[in-house]
Amino acid sequence: MSSKTVSTLRSTAAWRMSAKTTIAFAVGSAIAFAIMYMMAAREVQRRSDAWLSGEAGVLSDISLKTPRDALNDRIVEEVAELASREVPGELNIKGRQVNTVFFLVTGKDIPPIFVGTGSREDVLSALNAVQFEPGVPQSVHIAGWKKPFRVVYHPRGSDGGTYLGFADIDAARMLRRLTIGFVLVWCGMVMLGFLISFGGAYRTLMRVERITEAVDRIGSEDLASRLPVSNSSDEIARLSATFNRMLARIEASVKQLRLITDSVAHDMKSPVTSIRGSLEIALSDGQDGRWREPVANAIESLDGLLRMLNTTLDLAEAEAGALRVQKEPLDLSELMQQLTDLYHPAMAEHRQELSLKLESQVIVDADPVLLNRALVNLLDNELTHLPTGSSITISVQVVGNAAQVLIKDNGPGFPAELRDRVFDRFVKGAHSKGHGLGLAFVNAVAQAHGGNVSIADVTTGGAEISLKLPMAPVLTA
Amino acid sequence: MRLLVVEDDPGIQQFLKRALFEAGYQVDVASDATTAETLALEGVHDAFIIDLGLPDMDGLDLIARCRSQGILAPVLILSARRSVDERVRGLEQGGDDYLTKPFALAELLARLRNLLRRAATPQADSATKLSVGDLQLDLIRRDARRGDRTLQLTPQEFSLLEYLCRNAGRVVTRTMILDHVWRMRIDPQTNVVDVHIYRLRSKVDHESAKPLIHTIRGVGYVLKDS
Repeated sequence: MSSKTVSTLRSTAAWRMSAKTTIAFAVGSAIAFAIMYMMAAREVQRRSDAWLSGEAGVLSDISLKTPRDALNDRIVEEVAELASREVPGELNIKGRQVNTVFFLVTGKDIPPIFVGTGSREDVLSALNAVQFEPGVPQSVHIAGWKKPFRVVYHPRGSDGGTYLGFADIDAARMLRRLTIGFVLVWCGMVMLGFLISFGGAYRTLMRVERITEAVDRIGSEDLASRLPVSNSSDEIARLSATFNRMLARIEASVKQLRLITDSVAHDMKSPVTSIRGSLEIALSDGQDGRWREPVANAIESLDGLLRMLNTTLDLAEAEAGALRVQKEPLDLSELMQQLTDLYHPAMAEHRQELSLKLESQVIVDADPVLLNRALVNLLDNELTHLPTGSSITISVQVVGNAAQVLIKDNGPGFPAELRDRVFDRFVKGAHSKGHGLGLAFVNAVAQAHGGNVSIADVTTGGAEISLKLPMAPVLTA
Repeated sequence: MRLLVVEDDPGIQQFLKRALFEAGYQVDVASDATTAETLALEGVHDAFIIDLGLPDMDGLDLIARCRSQGILAPVLILSARRSVDERVRGLEQGGDDYLTKPFALAELLARLRNLLRRAATPQADSATKLSVGDLQLDLIRRDARRGDRTLQLTPQEFSLLEYLCRNAGRVVTRTMILDHVWRMRIDPQTNVVDVHIYRLRSKVDHESAKPLIHTIRGVGYVLKDS
C-alpha cells in the first residue's frame, strides 16, 4: 500500500471510527489486565509470605533452643534444607537463578551468623535501616538485588534477632512471563480488532459512498433515475430509500415548477405580445407624429418588462436545477471574439479601452444560448457601470482543467456593501439602472454547467470577475 | 399568398390578422387545433403560423398530423417557452422556423417572408450585387459605393449594411440584426447594436442630402430610398 493510499484511507470516517473503537478497546483491556496482574501479584505474595512466616518461626525456635556452639552448623543445615525444599509456586528450571534465601542470627552473646547468598555487610546495613515488627513480613531492598527481599524478624533475647529473608524470584519471573504473554496477545488482539472493525466500517461506509456518488451523478438532468435499493432493511438501505423518496419529491416539484413557469410565461407573454403588436401596428401606419413618441416609449418599457420577466423565470428554473441545458462543444475564445466585436464600438463610444488576451482552442461543452446570454450580461455590466476612460482587459485562458473568462477593469470596483451578495437576485448598486438579475443569472448558468463565477477587487483598483467552466473532454483525431 | 394563423389568444390572433392583412396576405384564423386541421386539409395555404400552446392539442402534434396528411407548407412556430426544446430545433432544421413570444411584428414578417421564399425557390439567394438608391454593394468584392464615393467599411459594417439592403424598405429589429449579422440569439440591455448603426450611418449617410438609414423608435431600423 502506497503512502498515498494510506493517507486517503486515513481521511475516511471508517478509519476514524475504527481507530476510536480500537483505542477504547486497547485501553480497556490494558486496564483489565493491570487489575488482574495486581490481584495475582498480591495473591502470590500472600502465599509466599505465609510460608515465610512459618519457616521463620521454626528457624527462630531452633536458634533459641540450640546451644551456642552447635548453632552455626545447625543453622547452615536448616537453611540448606529450606533452600532445597520446594517453595510454593516455584518451578525448578535448570540453569536459572532460583529463589534466594538468607538467614541471619544476631545477639549479644554470639557473633552474627549469616547463611545465604550475597554479602553479610550489605544485608546487615539494609536490615538496620528498617524498623521490624516481630513475625510480620517486610520488603527490604538489598544492594546488588533487583527484587526486594521479604524479611521476617523474630526477637532473640534482649538485643538480638533472627531474620529470614526470601526473594521470590520465581514468582517475579512468572509475573513477567505473564506480562510478556499479555502484551503479545494484546498487540495481536488490538491489531486484529482494528482490522475487523475497520473492515466492517469501511464496507458499510463504502455503501454510503456509493450512495453519495450516485446522488452526485443524479444531477438536474436525470431526476427520474433512482438509487439502487438492496433487499436488506438496515440503516443504509433505509438511507437509499429515503433519498429515493426525496428525489421523487424533487422531481415532482421541478416538474410542477416547469409547469408553473411555462404557464406564467405563457399567460403573461400572450397579452404582452398582443399589446406590443398593436402598438407596433399603430406605430407603422400612423402618419401623425404627435403620438409616435409615447407609443415608442410604451414599446421600449414593455421590452424592459419582458426582459426582466424572462430573466426571473430563467433564474427560478436555474435555482431549482431545472434549467434546460443543451450542450455542444464551443470555442470560448471565438465566442468572446464575436461578442467583443459586437461590444467594441459601444465601449469605444464610452471611451473605454478594451484589450483581449484570447488563448486559442479553449473548448467547453456548453449551451450556446445560455453561455452567450451570460457573457452578454457580463459585458453589459462593464459597459454600464464603468466610468468613461476606464480600461477593460478580457482574457480567455485554460487554468488547470477549467476554461476561464477573466474580465478585469480599473473602475471603482464593486461597492463594499454588495460584495458578498452580488450573485443574489435583485442585488444592485444604489445607482444601477439594471434590475439586479444579471450576475445572478451568470451564476446560475455557470453552476448549471458545473462551473463557477467569482469576483475580486484588484489591488491596483478596479474589479475582476472570473467565470470558470469545465473544459470539454479532448477529442483525439 | 394565403396564411393560416392558429392561435388561441384572441388578442394576438386579432393583431396578427390585421398586421398580416396590411402586409398583403390573405389570412384565415383558427383558435384550436381541430378547427385548424380542418382548415389546413383544404390545402390552400402557403404557410402556417402555429402557437405551441393550443387548448386541445400540442402545436407540434398538430404539425405532425398535417405533415402526415401531405400538407407540406412551411410553419412558423410561436412559443411562449424561452428555452426551445429539441423537437422544435428539429423542425427548424426541417425548414420551418420558430419565434419566441413576445416577438416584434417586424421580425415575424421577416421570418415569414424567408419561409415563403425558401419554399418557393429552395436555392440560396444568389444575387452578387445589391443596390438601393445610389447605394451599391458588390457582394463578391465586398465593397460598397454611395454615388461615386467608395465607403470605407469594416467587414462587420459591410455585413450589417448587406443585411439592411437585403431587407430594404422593411423594418429590421435589433434582435434580427443580432441573429443575422452576429449569428447570436441574445438580448443585450445596452445600446450595442445602435452604436454599430450610428457608425455605419455616419459613413453611409455622411454629407448626403438623402439619408438612407432611418431609425423607427420602438421597433428598429429601416434602410430605404425615400
